[in-house]
Amino acid sequence: MVLQFHEHIITELLEDSNGGLVILSSGLSLSKLVSSLLLLHSSSQGTLLILSPSSTTLKSKINLHLKTLNPQFYQIPAEITADLPAHHRHSLYTSGSVFFITPRILIVDLLTNKLPTSTISGIVILNAHSISETSTEAFIVRIFRSLNRNAYVRAFSDRPHAMVSGFAKAERTMKCLHIRKLHLWPRFQVYVSQELERDPPDVVDIRVPMTKYMVGIQKAIVEIMDACLKEMRKTNKVDVEDLTVENGLFKSFDEIVRRQLDPIWHTLGKKTKQLVSDLKTLRKLLDYLVRYDAITYLKYLDTLRVSESFRSVWIFAEASYKIFDYAKKRVYHLVRSDGVKLNESSKGIKNKKRKVKGDNKDTEEADVTSSTSSNHGIVLEEVLEEAPKWKVLREILEEVEEERQKQGMLREEVLAEGEDTDNGIVLVACKDERSCLQLEECITNNTKKVMRDEWKKYLLNKVQLRDIVNKKKKPKDPKGFGILDGVTPITHAQNAETSGINKQEHDALLAAASKLRNLAESNHVVEDTPQADSGGHARGKGKRKLGNKNGPIIIDGSGVQSNNKEELTGGKIGMSDSKNEVHTSETSPVSAGRFCETKHGGTSADDMVLRRHTCPDAVARDGKPLPPVHFYALESDQPILDILKPSIIIVYHPDMTFVREIEVYKSENPSKRLKVYFIFYEDSTEVQKFEASIRRENGAFESLIRQKSMMMIPVDQSGHGLGLNSTLDSDSNTPQNSLTRKAGGRKEVDKDMQVIVDMREFMSSLPNVLHQKGMRIIPVTLEVGDYILSPLICVERKSIQDLFASFTSGRLYHQVETMVRYYRIPVLLIEFSQDKSFSFQSASDIGDDVTPNSIISKLSLLALHFPRLRILWSRSLHATSEIFASLKANQDEPDETKAMRVGVPSEEGIVENDVRAENYNTSAVEFLRRLPGVTDSNYRAIMDGCKSLAELALLPVEKLAEIMGGHKAARTLRDFLDAKYPTLL
Amino acid sequence: PSSQQTQNRNAILVSNRQKGNPLLKHIRNVKWTFADVVCDFLLGQSSCALYLSLRYHLLHPDYLYYRIRELQKNFKLRLVLCHVDVEDVVKPLLEVTKTALLHDCTLVCGWSLEECGRYLETIKVYENKPADIIQGQMDTDYLSRLTHALTTVRHVNKTDVVTLGTTFGSLSNIMGASMEDLARCPGIGERKVKRLYDTFHEPFKRVE
Repeated sequence: MVLQFHEHIITELLEDSNGGLVILSSGLSLSKLVSSLLLLHSSSQGTLLILSPSSTTLKSKINLHLKTLNPQFYQIPAEITADLPAHHRHSLYTSGSVFFITPRILIVDLLTNKLPTSTISGIVILNAHSISETSTEAFIVRIFRSLNRNAYVRAFSDRPHAMVSGFAKAERTMKCLHIRKLHLWPRFQVYVSQELERDPPDVVDIRVPMTKYMVGIQKAIVEIMDACLKEMRKTNKVDVEDLTVENGLFKSFDEIVRRQLDPIWHTLGKKTKQLVSDLKTLRKLLDYLVRYDAITYLKYLDTLRVSESFRSVWIFAEASYKIFDYAKKRVYHLVRSDGVKLNESSKGIKNKKRKVKGDNKDTEEADVTSSTSSNHGIVLEEVLEEAPKWKVLREILEEVEEERQKQGMLREEVLAEGEDTDNGIVLVACKDERSCLQLEECITNNTKKVMRDEWKKYLLNKVQLRDIVNKKKKPKDPKGFGILDGVTPITHAQNAETSGINKQEHDALLAAASKLRNLAESNHVVEDTPQADSGGHARGKGKRKLGNKNGPIIIDGSGVQSNNKEELTGGKIGMSDSKNEVHTSETSPVSAGRFCETKHGGTSADDMVLRRHTCPDAVARDGKPLPPVHFYALESDQPILDILKPSIIIVYHPDMTFVREIEVYKSENPSKRLKVYFIFYEDSTEVQKFEASIRRENGAFESLIRQKSMMMIPVDQSGHGLGLNSTLDSDSNTPQNSLTRKAGGRKEVDKDMQVIVDMREFMSSLPNVLHQKGMRIIPVTLEVGDYILSPLICVERKSIQDLFASFTSGRLYHQVETMVRYYRIPVLLIEFSQDKSFSFQSASDIGDDVTPNSIISKLSLLALHFPRLRILWSRSLHATSEIFASLKANQDEPDETKAMRVGVPSEEGIVENDVRAENYNTSAVEFLRRLPGVTDSNYRAIMDGCKSLAELALLPVEKLAEIMGGHKAARTLRDFLDAKYPTLL
Repeated sequence: PSSQQTQNRNAILVSNRQKGNPLLKHIRNVKWTFADVVCDFLLGQSSCALYLSLRYHLLHPDYLYYRIRELQKNFKLRLVLCHVDVEDVVKPLLEVTKTALLHDCTLVCGWSLEECGRYLETIKVYENKPADIIQGQMDTDYLSRLTHALTTVRHVNKTDVVTLGTTFGSLSNIMGASMEDLARCPGIGERKVKRLYDTFHEPFKRVE
């Protein structure tokens, strides 16, 4: 069924035949809205083109909804791409149907007049937030409008906060799409809120307290973030208002900061740059704290320390010591073998040191009770703190199942009829696939086993690492394995002092690990465990058992573990309390009964989308039955609710968009009883972030509403001045006055300048900007170069990123080589991005020596080898178009058919215009130069010494040595020519 | 004097005009010495450079043109080394670009004196260096090298390389194969056969 507010939106949108821009809150099902709109299309109106969104999930969602909305006649819109031949495309353009089309082919067909614009009823754009004046979409609309005034352009976005980044973004977007009407549909809009709140789902909000250490870590991270932000404020480079911890929680924060810093990036000191990247790291640490289990978190920290140490500022901050320390304490701590816990938290380092020494002596005398490893007497005691949410999740599931069975019995008594579409599946939504898998493990097996497995992996990983490190750089610095020491050395001095304890800790870890490894090996023999039902399963259990029996190091058993926990958490925040926190209205008596296993085969077509999961074995250990559960990763962005139709949803990682999706789902299925559990960590940044995301979206809408009231949209947006010689747009984009004055004003444009552009270049914005400047763009497939400005000038364009990449791959060298061959003025255009700094590197990054990897060296070498190559350095797209125009000023216009033929050999293999080809067999020369032993200095001699490649193939090595002037090179070449081709393929 | 000359050959010769240019402090990896030269920096037998600060260009917009005009044509590489030392670059850089391009000079931009100095050093040090570091890292195993060589022939792809290799057994056999033998290979059509055959049998030099 169609949502009422969707109908409202569509009605409003249809009122203006010119089109409109719709911005709605995220999660309000943009895909359904678009699908409903598409269904209204009839072929008599003409063809409707949807610009293919970059996210394929949006497209597949639209297809799915089209199918469900109109199961009889649904027809998934076909996709028009460059792969379709031109005549085929033409027949589609005139068919009157709905199509997805890639922007690149659409613009090319518009420019080459292959698209009969009069047959098009309108264009739909799904990513309005990513459109700018220079984007291909804007280019398309500009040309399209100039050819067809009657068609509509409808643009959509469900990312309001992206629509307010930068100055008057919404207005600028509307201008470049030639749209007059802006439709804002926030969640708080009255129609929306009425409809969604009419019959809301039952919501249970569960606040789970974090463990003491989690709280500690979170506090430390926020502290460091705050310190970093303060530092950043001191630089005076970034708007102070944006620098808040709350902003710092979002990914978009990087964007805010980068947008302000990019233009001056090369002038920034190392410290500021490091601050920017540190803030990013810290945000991840906060996020992972509530997402990953304790061991994975520790592992992540370990790797961070290895990869970041000595560069990061934060890692040396006082508080970061706490992060590492607490993270470790969540996993293990050290005890003397006689059971006395090592006091690490003491502040006096001297004390600690003394104590450790004492330990050493003790153990030497006593010679340790425990086994294998530690002659130091320090052993590891596992803590393996479980994520508090795990237990809560299990409790909820158990409760749900009890409830369900109770109701099931009731229902059986009453009547087994009624459309019971309820398949009984509980949907658990968490952030990522990794969490899905782990939670699934937690539910099917048990949490202890999950932790134990992680722990095993962690330790084994350490052993392997140790092996590698030992092999590679043993002599270097034995205490410097960073990764293996648990405690962060704050300074070097302290490092020296604490190294004693680190070493012990280290050894203890390794001892535990090697013990484990031995166990694992011996376990291969002991195969017949009683529980053997499946391979992997059985092995895991086997290990556990063995671990139980021997080894005081690996202290297993719930007994010890829970003791530890008591000790750790001081019994106050123990997880057992969490039950009380669960405020549930219904508490049901335990009804022992059949385990309900529902195989749900209802949603056939979309099976591949879902990772199905039922857990019939879940009863085994705890004795309490669990309902079938489906784990869903929010990141995968599937229309899970429509496919699965759950009646119970557990939101394990709260997310604003998903909450909205639930609301929409509920109001679409008003008869369905829906219960939603939210699991939050109490007083965590998780809650903060969730609430902030709502505030942020509301803020964005408020700002949009203000903007809308003040907008200056020209009445005739579809109006004149859109033709090829559009001066309106280009004037605003060209601050170049003096030059145009010199060249006699804008007259040059009247000459109808034309530029031949390679088809592949339409991924970039330059053709658009050149067109804005008034040049005629002729798209063709070019063999040589990207832009042909005149019969003499051929340009290869490289963005900075491309430049580096194509130097590395050697592509640039060969591109320049062919340009030099065919054109009098071969040009390399190095195009910097407008909003990034205009330079390769800051002076401090240049280094002391000439090194082959530096971009300076590569450019120098290119210039040396191709002295005829000209290099253009362009600040921005607009600067490029200025340069092009001024270079063309006194040149002839390029010829399209000639340009296309350049570099393409005719049937006879002769390449036109190739001066060299008249004198040389170019492909033979090229071939020769690629043979081993042949170098820049001897290939000419070879060409003098023998006639052709076929002749070369017959020359004996002595003769080759004579020609090539060296025996070694000749041997290399001869060997390569005669090498037996490997047959085993 | 001859020893002086050899010494000079390994050094960058700097025009007296450049005396006092702080850039000189940053030429440290190569020797340099003042000399009576027309260009600003004589970097090798056939390469030279002119130095231009954009700030200076704004004051003397015709300077570059006159300096280029003085240069003899007998240099293969004529570099204009442009120090980007103004904030608002678009207009002056456009002028410099146009002048350099239309008068056969290669423009190189540096954003600091260090960077400008490094360009001069590098061009000198790399005077006779082959281009392999910018020709792409190639795998050195037999198959990659064979593919690399054979794919110079237009439209020959990796599969064709395997076909040719297994059919003929070695590269010299492939190079000596007759048209007929080549045509017998699956996937190698008429045009490819002709291209391959011509590559191998047409002389390197078409005219003597």
